This record gives sequence, structure tokens and C-alpha cells, in this order.
Amino acid sequence: MSRRRALLRYLAGRLALVPLMLWLIASLVFLLLRVAPGDPIDALLGTRAPLEAREALRQQLGLDQPLLVQYGHYLGDLLQGQLGTSLTNQEPVAAVIGRSLPASLELGLVALLIAAVVGLAVGFSGIARPEGRLDLAGRLYGIGTYALPPFWAAMVVQLVFAVWLGWLPVGGRFPATLVPPSGSGFYLLDSLLRANGQQFWGALRHLVLPASTLGLLLSGVFANALRLNLRRSLDSDYVEAARSRGLSERRVVLRHALPNALLPVLTITGITVASLIGGALLIEVTYSWPGVAFRLQEAIGQRDYPVVQGIVVVVAGLVVAVSVLVDLVVALLDPRIQF
Amino acid sequence: MVANKSSLDSVDPVDVTSFAGTQLLSAIGDPLYASDAAGQLRPRLAAAFPQLSAGGRLARIPLRRDVRFHDGTPFNAAAMVFSLQRFRALGKLSYLLDDRITAIRASGPYELELQLKRPYSALAALLSSINLTPVSPAAYRQHARRSLAQRFVGTGAYTLAGYSPQQQKLLPFRGYWGEPPRNRGIHLVTLSNSTALFGALVSGEVDVLISQGLESDQQRALAQRARLGQLVEGVGPAVEIGYLTLLSDRAPLNQQLLRQAVARSLDRRLISERVSFGMRAPLQSLVPPPLPSATPPSWPGYSPQQARALYRRAGFCQGRRLNLPLTFRSNVPADRLFALTWQAQLRRDLDDCVSLEIDGVESTTAYRQLEKGAFPMILLDWSGDYPDPDIYLLPMLACAKASGSRCLAGGSAAFGSFWTAPGLQRQLEATESLQGAARQQLLQTIQRRAAHGAAYIPVWQVAPRAWAQPSISRPEFDGSGRLLLQALSRGTP
Repeated sequence: MSRRRALLRYLAGRLALVPLMLWLIASLVFLLLRVAPGDPIDALLGTRAPLEAREALRQQLGLDQPLLVQYGHYLGDLLQGQLGTSLTNQEPVAAVIGRSLPASLELGLVALLIAAVVGLAVGFSGIARPEGRLDLAGRLYGIGTYALPPFWAAMVVQLVFAVWLGWLPVGGRFPATLVPPSGSGFYLLDSLLRANGQQFWGALRHLVLPASTLGLLLSGVFANALRLNLRRSLDSDYVEAARSRGLSERRVVLRHALPNALLPVLTITGITVASLIGGALLIEVTYSWPGVAFRLQEAIGQRDYPVVQGIVVVVAGLVVAVSVLVDLVVALLDPRIQF
Repeated sequence: MVANKSSLDSVDPVDVTSFAGTQLLSAIGDPLYASDAAGQLRPRLAAAFPQLSAGGRLARIPLRRDVRFHDGTPFNAAAMVFSLQRFRALGKLSYLLDDRITAIRASGPYELELQLKRPYSALAALLSSINLTPVSPAAYRQHARRSLAQRFVGTGAYTLAGYSPQQQKLLPFRGYWGEPPRNRGIHLVTLSNSTALFGALVSGEVDVLISQGLESDQQRALAQRARLGQLVEGVGPAVEIGYLTLLSDRAPLNQQLLRQAVARSLDRRLISERVSFGMRAPLQSLVPPPLPSATPPSWPGYSPQQARALYRRAGFCQGRRLNLPLTFRSNVPADRLFALTWQAQLRRDLDDCVSLEIDGVESTTAYRQLEKGAFPMILLDWSGDYPDPDIYLLPMLACAKASGSRCLAGGSAAFGSFWTAPGLQRQLEATESLQGAARQQLLQTIQRRAAHGAAYIPVWQVAPRAWAQPSISRPEFDGSGRLLLQALSRGTP
């Protein structure tokens, strides 16, 4: 079988599992939400409404129906691409996600860029003199950033740069005094496309603190991964062979060791992207960043079942898509991988 | 720029249940009646107070004739009928009307007619609920049977010029019938945590900060800055109360003597000081003070001697210690501090008689389990939907079905106390038709009976606060504890 056909077969095998995975995740979330104590009526009204009024509202929102009927409706809608409507304001869940997902993606991508640039620079910096001062500092940096609790780090950064120094906004995604750019929902991109400097500057100022905090916290992982893999590559036989052929150390590192060391980093990047889509909760909450994780946390508090289910399914779909893509890229780049 | 903590899911009056929502609605909408900070109720969109029929079951409300909606259409009785009926059909708080009103009609172009289930003397107060603010029938024609989350077309002093869950832009409504706003517009912003809110005001990023959701130590720091002249502080009337519910139909608190002992074991002043630096003022009534019948206090104050005597009479303090479970809402920081402080205070003052075992439960979980009698004692809070003693007493004390002093169904059971007393329900119903001094007297009698039963113990009252930069005028509040955005202005420190 040709390599191309083998690759397509490998891809088809991975994609065939996607619906099953999404069904399992959707069903699990549906069940877990119903098992958790309290429902949207308790979250909305607390103790304030009489029992009859609470029951009437429960009926109005369809929460009085048997669990199997609710599950049937949910799966039926899902198969038709419908995520339902929010119980708190009847807004389509797709619109809720459409508003918050670009915010998370924008934050995640910029943070990933920062993490990759800083992490790879730190990881690479100590390679000239292993166990030297620079290498030691890089290792400390990697462990330190990885070990820092995100909420604590975010609050300290917020306190220093927004409150004490007043250089950047405390939170939010865009200045309240400006109209946000319309379009894709990626404010940096939209304002650039419209060539609106004021909007771009406003969006950038709001993005700097959360993206830097998140990026720097993640950069340690990249730094350590690159350092370890580069070290392993430099100790390998093919590098030794390159050196014995008289190639310069610069050429040995950049042309022979680095590409191989970057392959595991690519896998880490994929995992990081996946976790960033829905997992930057503490950063989003600290900086009042209106992303999906923040919205998910609100929806869980409100027991807004359709919103929670919709966000989880969409994020799960994206995570699956990213991991399949990363597997595919790694498989294409690494000839050692067999399908 | 005005900041607060909670984001908005919807600006439609039928959806709004949160503080942030009612705060916004009070700026972009008008109620029929409104109370000022002193608790005085005044007509707003109504031209006068309701004229009641002889039996008190029919109310006619004359409406103002000079009011227009933000879309330019006129406000009239038909618009009010449309809005109230829409609220009854879709409103999450529709029980406010369903429980009282059977029919809504326009008896003239500018006269609203309400058919009441039974006479209700606090009708004007009920109609001051901002959720009942009228919306333009023309703008909501497509949304008569579904909510309109992101737009609002009402009659208020501001128009909603921009909306997102985290930011709203308000511009003065040029055609407003009343006093125009003293500013050129307001940006409302949401920051999701207390530290960010505090930082935003201190760094000058926002002009005004509302205290809702702000932690006590940060409130104290802002109050101190206000005393130093670095900020301007405004305090509104308390509408929120904190209280303990005691499960009265199961051991150990089925003994009234013990409940009375617990009521005297609570050092409110100390707890207020330690938990909130005195900003949550001690409360010995189920009704917050700006409202009638709140004073004189009905619940006894802290008295370790009297408490000890009562514990002794119940068989404790003589080598036998009462283990008292207290549940608090784990997601409410002040509740946790209350539980820890009270536990320490009891250990200090009544260690040989009573010991507090504290346990946290997430609020939504707690609300669901209240009516099942799951908590021997729990700390909760309550805010009335409109400023009247009725909305504080009735939900907690009403009992539709009772067996002796045990309430089987009704508000008391839903609130988790299951307590009632012979004739109490009749007295509660009687307050609905009484007015003036006679009503106030009866409300006080009811409170004294509730205090004697000790199934509820008021703890503190929460007055809303706001802090502004020195260049902004002092923040003012209405009688429902909402910041008057239209009264904010620059240049009047």
C-alpha cells in the first residue's frame, strides 16, 4: 500500500471515531448535569418564588419532562446541528458560543505564540553550555512557570501592571467607550482589516495582560520539552556522524538536531491548543475575559443545561479536530511513524 | 464609567432576576410607582395612586399622558396592558402578578384597570417593581411570546445604545418626560471578580463602583479612602437581609426553648464587625429598617446569660453540650466568615452549652434541599422584589397547610423552617387589606410572634454602597437600593 493511501486510511480511522466520542461526551454531560443537585429554577429564583410558581416555570422550560424524553429531544436537536436555546434568556446556544469562542481562540492563539517564542528561546538558550548558568536559569524558569498557580500569577500581574502602574486595563476585552469591530469576532484581526488603529490599540491593550500571563505560564512546558529533546538529539548517533563529517556545530544543531527535537514539541503544541480552547478558565475569570471557559463557568452556576452541553460538545469537537490535525502533521513530518 | 460584578444575560424585563439586570432596567425603564431613599412611594408613570373600589378588588390607575417610548410611540394604557400581560405570560417572576391579579384591562386610553384576587393595600409598592416596566408594543410585536434579550425599548431616562453581557452603553433619551440625566451617558461594565473591580476604581479606570459582589475587606478599604477624601461614598437603603432558618420540626431545634436560646447566642455586633467591618449592620427584624414595622426590633439581642439559662432549661450546660449544625453557602464569602466567627464566639462565650458544627454547601444545591428539611440551621439572604414589609414576611411565614405549629405546605416549608403558629396565616392575610397604623401594628405583632417562635433569626442588613472618583457627584440610591445613574455628574465633588 502506498504511503498516501495508508495515510488516508489512518485519517479515516481517526475520523470514524469522532461521532462516537462526541456522542459519549454529549451523553455524559447531559447525565452529569441532571445528577448534580439543583436545577435552573433553583439557580434563577433561589427561594424567592412560591413552590407553584417554580413548578410552573420548570414546566415552561420543559424540565418537568422525563429524563429520557429530554435526552431524546437533546440528541435529536444535536443530530440536526441544533444546540438548543439558553434557559436564562432563550438565546440560541450557537449565538452564545459564536460570541465567546472567538474571544477564547484569540486569547489562546496569542498566548500560544508567546509561549512558543519565549519557551523555545529559553529552551534553546542553554544548549551551548549544558549545566551552565544559562541552562540552569532556563530549567528554573521552566519549573517555576509550570508550578505557579495561574490565578495567583494572574492576580499579581493584574495588581502590578494594571492597578499600581496603571499601564494596562484591569480586565475586559475591549474599551467600553469604543464600539467593538464587527466581523469574525477576532477583534485584533477585525480592527486590522478595517484599518482602525483606535480599535486595534484598544483590543491589543486589553489582550496584553491575559495573553502574556497565559503565554508565560505555558512557556515553561515548551522550554523544558525543547531542552530535553534537543539534548537527546545532540547525544544521538546521527548527530555524532554529522560532527564526524566536519560540519559546523551551528549546522549540526540547526539542520540535524533541532528538526527532530521539534517533533515532540509539535505534539505538545497540539495538546496545549486543545486545552487552551476551554481550559483557560482561571485566566478568563481573573481578567473578566468573555471567553467560552468564562461563559461555561457562568452557565454551570446557573445550571443552564443547553449552554453547558453546547459549549462542552463544541469544545470537545474542536479538541478532537486539533488532535487529529496534529497527529496528521506529525505523521507527515516523521517518516518513522507507521500507519 | 460604572462597574459592577454580575454580567447580564438579558435586558428583557421578563428575564431579569439579577441585581445587575434590575440596576440597568431602572435606568432605561420606568415603573408605575417608585420609592425614594427614604422609603416614600411616589407615582412615576402613574399619574396618581390606585383608586380602589369599595370591596378593594378593583384598582384603577390613571397614567401620565406625556410619556413616549424610546422608539417615539406613545405610552398609554394599551401599552401598559401589553407589557403586564407579556410579563404574566413570559416573566420568570410572573408569580408577582399571578398571585394577586386576575385581569388586566385598559378602562380608558390613559387608565389601567386591575382586577385583584383579594384586596391588597401594598398594590402601589408591588407595581413599583422594575420588572413591570412597560415596553413598546410596536417594538416588541414580534416578541410578544418570546423574550428579546439584547434590545430594550422602554420609557426610561436612558436609551440602551449598546449591549453585550459585559458592557452596556446608555445615552440620555431626548424625549424623556421627567428630569433629564445630569450626565451625557453611562458605560456600564462588568468585571468578574472583586479584586479587578477594586483595582479598576483605584487605578481610575472606572468612575463609579457598585458594592454588589465586592468583598468586605475591599469595601472597607474603599470606605477608608472615601474618609480620606480620595473617593466619594454613597450608601443606599438596605433591601437585603441575612437571616438564619432553623428547622423547627425535627430534633434538636424542634424545642422552642432551644431556638430561643440560639437567638440569644448570636453576638450580631461582634459578627458584623469581624465579618464586614460593621458594614453589614446588625438586624433584629425580618424587615429592613427603611420599611415600616422594622422598628422597634422584635428579636432579642445578644444575651449569653439568658441564653445559658434557656440552654439549662432544655437540659444542656450541665456536662452536656448541644452540637448545633450550621450550614452556610460555600460560594458566598460573607457566609463562610459568619460561620467561622459565630463558631469562635460561641466557643468563647458558651463553650459548655453549645458547639457549632459548620458545613458549606453550594447555594443552588442548598435552595433545592431547603424544602426537604435538609438543614437544621442555615444562613440565607433575602431581597424583596419591591419595597414593602409584605414581601419580606409573607414568603417566610406563609403557611397554606398546617398541623399544629408544623407547616406542611407554603412559604414556611419552602424556606426550610416548617414553622407556623395558630392564627398566624390569618394575621398575614389581614395585613393585605389593612392600611396605615393598623397595618403597621399588625405587622409588628406578626414579627413579635415570629421572634417568639424563633424559627428565623435575622442577622444583618446589607445596604448597597457605591464609590466614585472625587470628580464625580456623590452616588445616590432609590428606595429599592439601586444606584441612580441619572443623578451622577462630573465636577461636583
